[in-house]
Amino acid sequence: MTYQEKNIIVSFCSQILILGFFLVRILELAQGGGLEFEKVLRLWFTVIILQIVVTIVGTILAHILSAIVQSVQTGGEEPQIDDIEDERDKLIALKGTRVAYIISSIGIFLAMLSLVFGQPALVMFSLLILAGLVAQISADVSKLYLYRQGF
Amino acid sequence: MGKKRISNNIRKLRFFNDEMTQQHLAEKAGVTRQTIIAMEKDRYSPSLELAFKIAYVFGVPLEEVFAYDPEN
Repeated sequence: MTYQEKNIIVSFCSQILILGFFLVRILELAQGGGLEFEKVLRLWFTVIILQIVVTIVGTILAHILSAIVQSVQTGGEEPQIDDIEDERDKLIALKGTRVAYIISSIGIFLAMLSLVFGQPALVMFSLLILAGLVAQISADVSKLYLYRQGF
Repeated sequence: MGKKRISNNIRKLRFFNDEMTQQHLAEKAGVTRQTIIAMEKDRYSPSLELAFKIAYVFGVPLEEVFAYDPEN
């Protein structure tokens, strides 16, 4: 498995965890009758900050773990991490971004529709963050598929 | 995944160049070993620049490395 694939898997797992956290928290708020603007907004920003922090920490951890695993495999020699990004990596990243863009667009459209149909702004905010998370997960899945199957 | 129209002789050329490793070719062409693997398996068609670089590494013209088959 390449360094890029490991990075994608780390990103995928962290996004799934954040999505799970978001869904559990929003369901808790809805069931407790506390679906207030301030609480949802706090959850909104918590998810965004979590995404940024987890992505940075995940990338660093993936790098360190790759170095350790390779060092063990090569018997303590200088580890060579294949972390350069070539044209194929850039193309795969671009295709992943396109998938994320399409799903985000659909999410934003649905969020706007919810307002049109008289849903509260909270629903729109929740749909926006949900679309963002699902878009990121779909992008990771498509990138992983392209790395495995080629294109 | 459909078969690529562009095929290549990279594996054969590596063999005739003292069994050049994929890693060595990747380093000389400035790409990752995974990209070389993908090309050898016909899973990736390189850019024109990379195609020329690979031909240059082997010291042969471009058409000896890559072939275009419109029938595929």
